[in-house]
Amino acid sequence: MKVSRVFAVTKRVFWDIKNDRRTRVLIFVAPLLVMILFGVAFTGNVKDVRVIVVNNDTAAASSSLSDKIISNFDTSTLNVAYSNSESDAIGQVQNGSAYAVIAFPSTFTQSVEARASGQTSIPQENVTVSILADKSNVNVANPIIAAVNNAVVQTTQGQGHQPPVSVDSSNAIYGANAQFIDTFVPGIVSVAVWQITMLLTLIAFVGERTSGTLSRLLASPLKESELVTGYAVAFGAIGAAQSAVLLAVAVLLFHITIVGNVFLSFGVIALLAIVAEGLGILLSSFARREAQAVQFLPFVVLPAFLLSGVFWPIEAIPEWLQPVSYLLPTTYAVEAVRSVNLRGWGLDKIYPDVVALLIFAGVFLVLATILLRRRE
Amino acid sequence: MKDDVCIRDLEKSFGGFKAVNKLSLRVKHGEIYGLLGPNGAGKTTVIKILCGLLRPSSGEAYVLDMKLPDPSVAPHVGYMPQELAMYRGLTVHENLAFYGEVFGLSKQQIDTREQALLKLIDLQASRDTLVDQLSGGMQHRTSLACALLHEPQLLFLDEPTVGVDPDLRASFWQYFEELRDSGITILITTHYMDEARHCDRIGFMREGRLIAEGSPQELLELTHTDSLEDAFLSYSRTGGPA
Repeated sequence: MKVSRVFAVTKRVFWDIKNDRRTRVLIFVAPLLVMILFGVAFTGNVKDVRVIVVNNDTAAASSSLSDKIISNFDTSTLNVAYSNSESDAIGQVQNGSAYAVIAFPSTFTQSVEARASGQTSIPQENVTVSILADKSNVNVANPIIAAVNNAVVQTTQGQGHQPPVSVDSSNAIYGANAQFIDTFVPGIVSVAVWQITMLLTLIAFVGERTSGTLSRLLASPLKESELVTGYAVAFGAIGAAQSAVLLAVAVLLFHITIVGNVFLSFGVIALLAIVAEGLGILLSSFARREAQAVQFLPFVVLPAFLLSGVFWPIEAIPEWLQPVSYLLPTTYAVEAVRSVNLRGWGLDKIYPDVVALLIFAGVFLVLATILLRRRE
Repeated sequence: MKDDVCIRDLEKSFGGFKAVNKLSLRVKHGEIYGLLGPNGAGKTTVIKILCGLLRPSSGEAYVLDMKLPDPSVAPHVGYMPQELAMYRGLTVHENLAFYGEVFGLSKQQIDTREQALLKLIDLQASRDTLVDQLSGGMQHRTSLACALLHEPQLLFLDEPTVGVDPDLRASFWQYFEELRDSGITILITTHYMDEARHCDRIGFMREGRLIAEGSPQELLELTHTDSLEDAFLSYSRTGGPA
């Protein structure tokens, strides 16, 4: 393999990108837009959800426990309205003008105090705050339930009633201040680079085949391995640059946490881009036109997006589907970049993921070379 | 005189279809040899075998005294495929520079050769224009320049004049004759019979076989015809010379 010929190929790929603004937009602007959209959409908490409180508690306002709980509601999450009639309140949920009814029983304060002083004969329903929620959107229903739970805990602690057991999760081993966006940015970076490198490779190689340039190259001193390597160097470098831009913007706009060595994560993404290039060359041989090649994309991109732990952990994927996750190169990249960014891990700890990516890259590049070398 | 291309009993099948059938021919050093025949006669298959893009099913082929397949043939051969075979998103200069680097030329060699070639094909003003923005004729000329950059001894031109207007076709043949006079051997395929009169020798191909061979003059005399097209038809009907 001759380095000068490898770099001739690499340089040619860069010339193509230098001359074409659309490709540059695809490489740098498209993934940024995706990340910003996800970032903006997923960092916001649920706000201003209209709930109807039906407070049947007959206790005097000064001693009323229900009033205290209501006053402890997180008012940024809940937009509290009142009603005297439970059926009227339920009606409002049914016609969509509120998300939940929060009802207190008539002997609420009295029953809670009686229980606290040791009376065990009080029925559970008399001390229960019922939430009749519209659970059609769990992302709204769950924060309502959490807000009510928090208010109850806060109020009872204020009354001097300590719960028998407590849980403290404020001392994190990794990611002390991590938000959801910290968790999914490594995934967005990986999937964006995976998808765009795949697309660029498919278009480039279908082009090489149909335009005759591949014939000219195969009739030249250029070796198939040099062609594959030249493209790998170019796309690896582009992948690293993409991840640098994405992470920089994520830090500036969303203040994501990065405690590890960013260059290590660029390296992981470069490796992932090379895997995508190898697989892209293999797939390109099954397409006669660019339009046919683009049809492969959903099959390559959707599983990566859904099954490689970008938004939800692989542990949450049904067991029978998990092997698919471990066949996806993106799974290893997502895991490695997340460990570097949030856990501050070095190569000594992420090497299993790196080795997995190296194996994928090696297998795909060798197969791509053999495929190009094959002569009818 | 030595032969730059020597093919013996060459056969190439694709599945059950015989694209080349017991073909033997020789291209002498310093001549323009035209391989003529209708579409599907097997001309392109022969060129692709000679360029190492296809493997013969049987028979043998020598290029510059090297038995194919042999990767050391590549540096000495220029190939212009039927397709334009250029990167449309690159400028004329970038295409030439890339192919030059692939052939191991230095930057200086590339610059010198590029200047000479752009002058030859009259494209000096378009050096930094994207291939995509060139006219069809300019693209054809650039494609030829890409095949010539590394000063090959032997040129394989696969239908170089398809889709080329008459003016440019005339200047193409002028280039080819100039190249031959400078000592380059050319094997060219075409299905335009009339332009083959520029060749030193012609082989008529039909259904994978060589049905006649000779200089244009010889073929016209042997068949008592006035045009190479009629000569081809005459051989095509009888299946071979009388």
